[in-house]
Amino acid sequence: MAGRAGTDPGTAGDAVVARAIDLTKTYGDADARVTALDHVDVDFARGEMTAIMGPSGSGKSTLMHCMAGLDAPTSGRVVVEGLEVSSMSQRQLTKLRRDQIGFIFQSFNLVPTLTAEENILLPLQIAKRPIDRAWFDKVVDVVGLRPRLKHRPSQLSGGQQQRVACARAIMARPSVIFADEPTGNLDSRSSREVLGFLKDSVHDYGQTIVMVTHDPRAASYADRVLVLADGRIIRDLKHPTYDRILAEFATEGDAGDAAGTKARADA
Amino acid sequence: MIRIGLRDARAHFPRFIMSIIAIALGVSFVVGSFCFRAMMNDQVDQMLGSNTDHDVYVRGSTEREDDADAAASSGSDGSSSMKTYNDIDVSLATTIAKVRGVKTAEVTYSVSGALVLVAKDGNAVSTIGSPTMGIGLENGTWRSAHLTEGRWARDRHEVALHAFAAETAGLKVGDTTKLVYPSGPEDVKVVGVFDTDVSQAGAIIIGLAPNVAKELEEEQSGEIGVTRYIGVYGSANGGAPLSAEQQRELADRVERALPSGSKAHAITGDQLRDEYSQSLKDQLGFIQPLILIFAVIALFVGSFIIANTFSMIVRESMRGYALLRSVGASPFQVFSTVIVQALLLGLVGSGAGIALGWGMVRLIVAGMARMGTPMTGAADPGPADMAAGLLVGIVVTLIGAALPARRAATAPPIQAMNETVNPERPVWPRGVAGIVMIALGAASWTFCVAIANAGDGEPPTPLPFLNDLASRWGVGWPLGVGAGLIVIGVIVLAPALVGPAGAVLGWIPAHVFTVTGRLATRNLARQKRRTANTAAALFVGVAIVSCLGVVASSAKASVAGIVDSGLKSDFSVMSASSGRIPDDAIKAIEDVRGVGSVSKSRMLMGVTYGSGDDKDSAMTFAEQPSLFTKVFAPVTNSGNADKALRTGELVVGLTVAQDNGWQIGDTVTVNGKRVVVDEEATAKAQADYQAQVQSQAAALQSEAQRLAASGDVAGAQAKAAEAQKTVEDAKNVDPATLVRTKTETTHVKVRVGAIIENSIYRSMVLMNDDLAGKVNNENTMFTIMLFVNAQEGADVAALKRRLVDAVKPFYVVNVQDRDEFKSTMGTMVDQILVILYALLALSIVIAVFGIVNTLALSVSERTREIGLLRAIGTSRAQVRGMLAIEASLIAVLGTLLGVVTGVAAGAVIRLVYASNGLERLSIPWDQLGEFLVASIVVGVVAALPPARRALKVPVLDAVATD
Repeated sequence: MAGRAGTDPGTAGDAVVARAIDLTKTYGDADARVTALDHVDVDFARGEMTAIMGPSGSGKSTLMHCMAGLDAPTSGRVVVEGLEVSSMSQRQLTKLRRDQIGFIFQSFNLVPTLTAEENILLPLQIAKRPIDRAWFDKVVDVVGLRPRLKHRPSQLSGGQQQRVACARAIMARPSVIFADEPTGNLDSRSSREVLGFLKDSVHDYGQTIVMVTHDPRAASYADRVLVLADGRIIRDLKHPTYDRILAEFATEGDAGDAAGTKARADA
Repeated sequence: MIRIGLRDARAHFPRFIMSIIAIALGVSFVVGSFCFRAMMNDQVDQMLGSNTDHDVYVRGSTEREDDADAAASSGSDGSSSMKTYNDIDVSLATTIAKVRGVKTAEVTYSVSGALVLVAKDGNAVSTIGSPTMGIGLENGTWRSAHLTEGRWARDRHEVALHAFAAETAGLKVGDTTKLVYPSGPEDVKVVGVFDTDVSQAGAIIIGLAPNVAKELEEEQSGEIGVTRYIGVYGSANGGAPLSAEQQRELADRVERALPSGSKAHAITGDQLRDEYSQSLKDQLGFIQPLILIFAVIALFVGSFIIANTFSMIVRESMRGYALLRSVGASPFQVFSTVIVQALLLGLVGSGAGIALGWGMVRLIVAGMARMGTPMTGAADPGPADMAAGLLVGIVVTLIGAALPARRAATAPPIQAMNETVNPERPVWPRGVAGIVMIALGAASWTFCVAIANAGDGEPPTPLPFLNDLASRWGVGWPLGVGAGLIVIGVIVLAPALVGPAGAVLGWIPAHVFTVTGRLATRNLARQKRRTANTAAALFVGVAIVSCLGVVASSAKASVAGIVDSGLKSDFSVMSASSGRIPDDAIKAIEDVRGVGSVSKSRMLMGVTYGSGDDKDSAMTFAEQPSLFTKVFAPVTNSGNADKALRTGELVVGLTVAQDNGWQIGDTVTVNGKRVVVDEEATAKAQADYQAQVQSQAAALQSEAQRLAASGDVAGAQAKAAEAQKTVEDAKNVDPATLVRTKTETTHVKVRVGAIIENSIYRSMVLMNDDLAGKVNNENTMFTIMLFVNAQEGADVAALKRRLVDAVKPFYVVNVQDRDEFKSTMGTMVDQILVILYALLALSIVIAVFGIVNTLALSVSERTREIGLLRAIGTSRAQVRGMLAIEASLIAVLGTLLGVVTGVAAGAVIRLVYASNGLERLSIPWDQLGEFLVASIVVGVVAALPPARRALKVPVLDAVATD
């Protein structure tokens, strides 16, 4: 049960769910080195929805992948619920994914051979954990999938598919849900539904969500917005408004030089 | 474009290895089977050229419908596809010998299987498959055989051995050994060794004195003074074989010289050799199709593996093709980059296959030589065989690659980036088509069973046109057509079965391994055709072996059943060679302490039933009246078998009764043969011999006088002594050699007293010894089986040992207790099965390739899905388990279909041939169970490589494909 220590009363009070310490990730060899993450330090608070923003190549996806144990950092440490992710074996990683982490991807979130209900219950069954039916009913009602439970993913719309993915991620009540552009493929109405649902889960059930997006509208649902550029966090905004985020991106073109961004990040 | 294709081929080479192996195996079977057939045919031709080497043959002029001799020896001498002609009189040889251009014309007497040679070490020389032949040989009777040492045999106590026989037996000229004649073993001296130009394929050939061979042949055939052939050597080439033209001329001259009414006809040696060769080749012909079935399986899987492999390659290269297309490459050019790879693959695979096939045949030849059957036939593939192999390999590869190549060529660049897999076309049309085919096949089998079960007089079906077909085709055709339809039907139906079968078979894994089991089961149903095709490879192999397994097991059980239900005696005694048990051996057995009673089964030679043109032959046995009380309990169809036998009526097997339309109470004419001493001819022969000796002595005397007159005293004395010796020798000559015999025919009217259906008596007619004595006599009746009952309270095991000791001096007489009697059949059946299991193993290996390949393709298509599963917490073991379950389900599906179809086919075959000894159906459940367990293992093993590939992809790469 050590892996589930995060849900024990002793550590549940810890306000930080996940933490990156001096995280660096470089790709390529000496000739063509690309630095995706450049000595990043960041904490993700419990019960908060954090959006990670930034232009393509800014390292936002890499940060999330390293946090979630999908990618190994070149140096630095990642700690989730007091467990050091960056040094975990495959077996430990599997256990971490079962107990502490939920995923929502941009597309291809669902196993095509399983129905919506089976997809939602899949993580619990893989982990051989008991199914809390009451919780399941609540989740299904909140995402509004009751009439669609017996459908296969191919019979669902894009928005419905993403809602199934959200329900699946929340069903296991993980310590943190990592969402990679969850609304990237959706129209605005579906996006609003999905984002509203994620936000509700944070507020109503204290779920922690880390979401990568480049959509300012999506980011505006978050409690906190981190802006990355060239592998560094250049902004850390608490409860920003949509206009504030837009403004941030409007000035982003000017903030291209590394020295300036670093100064502002430190501030 | 071609250069791109070649470069791609090099890059993809590791991917191609499996395809190359599959193609190579398939092609090797094709080439090997052609090679093997060519070798056998070559061997047959060589042997015929050497063994049937007369220039002209004279044989009967009218074809015989039903050969009495073949039927009498239970039809197993293999001459089934050879036409037979009426016998001709041996005296014709004298007439023919006088024809101009004829060097010699004589009958070569020979017996096959009637003799056993005892080797130097005192054991009987046994051969595998090839018979021991005794041939009457002297100077000039066999042109292709030449003495290498010594001389030809002159009497019963001399033999000349073929070099192979001498080598096998470890005997050389001057050695004395024993030769087991049908009447018992006798001491013989090896007086010569001869050789032939070609190997005799392991046959042991013993050169006998011609008159000895003649007696033996007459005894074996029950015919005297007649023969099938008279062989004629021409003198035109000074002893060398005649050309085809010369043969024709000589045959024409001989034909003209044949007296009218002789019912004889002269043909060229070439014609007879062609006929023989065709019939032998027909008999060996079954081997090639059997090998070809497995070649087809291998090639089917091969093309399938190739299609899968290319699908994977094309999928992965789609972007590259899209790029080529967008820079102006035509669809055909893209197509050709793929096809070039396929061509290369086909070439490499076929080349390897040809080499492999060649090697296999060489290996078989080497194996046969080790086992004592050396072959001199050419075992190398001809250019035609190689071309066939190459063509087959390349065509199969191209077929496999064509669809993926088309997909590569025609996909619009936009779609090439898209991962969506088009949903599969519905499979129900295949389901319907498959069921229709299976139903037709089942109908064909039902028809076949109906034909088999129909008795005489009653038609198999109520429909006249079907009855017409039945009489025209017999049971073989409906059986084969039914099997073909059902096998193809199952293959057609299989995709429609994948869904339901997955649900049923997947029930256990889905409940034991909740998630992985369910995922695996659902995955199978995604690509139903692919799953079904993969399973089909296993299906065909398993079906064949299950079918044969059922037939073999039923055959064993039927024999065991005869023993368990009917045999009352403690021991049975049979001869390993001719079937005849020497009289001395019978006496020896009767004298053994503890023997209660001995029942003799004596076969009557050349007995026919009916009169005029309706004569029918049937195996006829003379039995003791106590047969049904002491040896076999009768399974009576009608009448009282025991009473009938005791009162001198016929007891008829059911098959014989049905064939002849006999009922209880019918009176039948039994035509027998008795060989008696021809007093007149014997007297004449003796007189002739005396006259010959006299004239010879007189000639020598006069020569001596002439020499004496010319002053050569020593020469004269020598000649006089020689004359003296000739007369002395004549006194010592065995009078038996001068006895002339003749055949009398008898006609006895007997009532049919009972009809029985014991499987061993089904095709026999039984009568008691008294009646048999009226039909035939001692010279035309031979004991072929003894049944021994132990005395009350005797120790059976000890008695067995004493019996074995008692028959030891006769070499060929076997004593079997009840269990041994049961297992004789079993061991033979098991030996045949070993070969089939080897073939099964090969087809399983091929099927494993198919499963590995299908899973590999499936894994490559599901890269993202597996990544997703891993991301949400699926462990590596669970992924492995999922794939193992998928593979096992495919394997189990194929095996189950195979077992069900095979068992059904086996059961039908048993029903159809029930009257030929397959009385009991026995399904080897444990063996079939082993197949199933093995298939699960096969699946688990086959899943290993694809699972490794699936897990090698990092989760992140699988999920984040951009």
